[in-house]
Amino acid sequence: MSEVTLESLTKRYGDELAVDGIDLTIRDGEILGIVGPSGCGKTTTLRTIAGFETPTRGRVRFDGVDVTHVPPEERHVGLVFQSYALFDTMTVRENVAFGLKMRDVPQRERRERASALLEMLDIAALADRRPTTLSGGQQQRVGLARALAIEPHVLLLDEPMTGLDAALKARLRTEIRDLLADLGVTAIYVTHDQEEAMAMCDRIAVLNAGTVEQVGTPSAIYRRPANAFVANFIGNSTLLTGVAEDGRVDLGFAELEVAAATNGTVTVAVRPEAFEFEREGSIDAEVTSATYLGDRTQLTATLPDDTTVALHADAAETYRTGETVSLSIDDTSVHVLE
Amino acid sequence: MSVRESTAASVRRVAVFAATTARPTTERERERRRIAIMCLPFFALATVAGFVPLAMLVRMSVAADVIWIEGWSLDAWRTLLTEPTYRRVAWNTVWFVGLATVVSVVLGVAVAHVLEKYDLPFERVVVAAVSFPIALPGIIVAILVIAMLGRQGLVTNAIAAVTGTSAIDLASATAITGLFLGYVYSLVPRATMVLRGTYAEVNTQAEEAARSLGASRWETFYRVTLPEIRPGIAAATILTFRSGLAIFGTVLLLQSHYVITLQIQREISVGTYRPDVAAAIGLVYVVFIVAFTFVGLRFVRTDTVTL
Repeated sequence: MSEVTLESLTKRYGDELAVDGIDLTIRDGEILGIVGPSGCGKTTTLRTIAGFETPTRGRVRFDGVDVTHVPPEERHVGLVFQSYALFDTMTVRENVAFGLKMRDVPQRERRERASALLEMLDIAALADRRPTTLSGGQQQRVGLARALAIEPHVLLLDEPMTGLDAALKARLRTEIRDLLADLGVTAIYVTHDQEEAMAMCDRIAVLNAGTVEQVGTPSAIYRRPANAFVANFIGNSTLLTGVAEDGRVDLGFAELEVAAATNGTVTVAVRPEAFEFEREGSIDAEVTSATYLGDRTQLTATLPDDTTVALHADAAETYRTGETVSLSIDDTSVHVLE
Repeated sequence: MSVRESTAASVRRVAVFAATTARPTTERERERRRIAIMCLPFFALATVAGFVPLAMLVRMSVAADVIWIEGWSLDAWRTLLTEPTYRRVAWNTVWFVGLATVVSVVLGVAVAHVLEKYDLPFERVVVAAVSFPIALPGIIVAILVIAMLGRQGLVTNAIAAVTGTSAIDLASATAITGLFLGYVYSLVPRATMVLRGTYAEVNTQAEEAARSLGASRWETFYRVTLPEIRPGIAAATILTFRSGLAIFGTVLLLQSHYVITLQIQREISVGTYRPDVAAAIGLVYVVFIVAFTFVGLRFVRTDTVTL
């Protein structure tokens, strides 16, 4: 496994700048998530690491070795696609052994290694079937086994669970994370699903318009977003404007004891769970909609300064539109944006 | 159930089928009527332009005129089976058109690959240029061949000037090559058009997966792309071979190799006028084409390629 380094990676298609000077290091054995909205450069970055795109500027290094101009077949990179991209004319076992065949591994060893991987991914019984006869989850396991068979320097996963149903996704997510951790594979996991990234990855890079907005652990990204974009993209945040002075922020309708880097006007990111429902809280908010979600009720409400906020309420309580709820804000759960 | 009863039951079923199609009451019956209405013009055309001429050919191959006045004979068929000329023409046709088909399909794969896999400048112009020969009459193709490879042809004289050989000798020696190139020129666009449709269905991510797994471009083509386009290759082969068999204008003008179409023309020419033999050859040709197509279609997945 390798450490992957992107140095000032830039990719331009004509006038369009798809990736704009990304500097990023993916540590040996780490799973790094790349998240961002559609068109932010996630897939272009991934394809550049795989060797299918040549960067307009910048470098890609594996363990310090410059591979920017090395063709894909010599990079030793495993790829897992959203569409599975299996070889329909081959059996599952032939799919998994394909990379080994290209490396001239003897047939017997190919067969043994493919069988071991199929066993590991719990699809040994499907070895002689054609991919087209398998379910989406099974096909994705085959895709993963095929990519892992070559013991890649880095495993690239491009939205591998997008087409799967929620229950299967949750199960596969845990299985893949544990498997990659056991094998110590360096992996880059591209997804637009932030929840999936948080569950799967050691660190997350948030991309926007071809640039990296923030890199950090899922907890750091969620609790201390670097800017308004990250605060809004990862989870649900309400951005409130206040005046910071000596360790306090005055929101106008409430005061928070939270440190800001400078005094003056600041933006505070408040997660839904930071709002606490009180009998006699300091903030009155008017409920504008209530959606029952089973484990909680999701409310939207209007604060005294007309800001709309998202709230997570107890599912056992009933809320009506137009009702006034009393709230307070947990100072420890808010973050002042730099 | 006796034969009589089962026949009566079959007749009843057909009658009910016809009645429900004519006056449908369910959605399935209405769909059947739509199909019947849409297919009717084709069957009318097939009857006039297909079945009737075929019946005429059968009649012509056994009788010069009305059978009950002239009587009939199998002379034409006997001639076809016994005279070596016809076996030679059949073999000439099969190997020549077969070779032209193989070369055309290989070139078609290459052209379709380039058109579908690469962002070409002026792609529309390239596509127009590649498909252009489809619209050319065979006679024009023959004139092109003469203009390039004839005794006064550009290529012939250029080669003659470089090698110091006689342009006349060179043109004679390459006469069949010229005809072959004329065939290929006419057939490549047909193969390309079919293969482009197949190429559009190729899973490019599977090709990228193969590359990432260590396959070179050639190995990726051979192990991933080629198996995927195999139905398209089969379809292109069927279409190209059938089109090659039907080429007439080019071979009529160049006359450097005797193939079936030229032989039919000979049989109905003044001097060797034998319409019964021409009709028999025509029937053999039709039966061969139908049989070849049926066999060929076994290798074509109809969900990916249509002919």
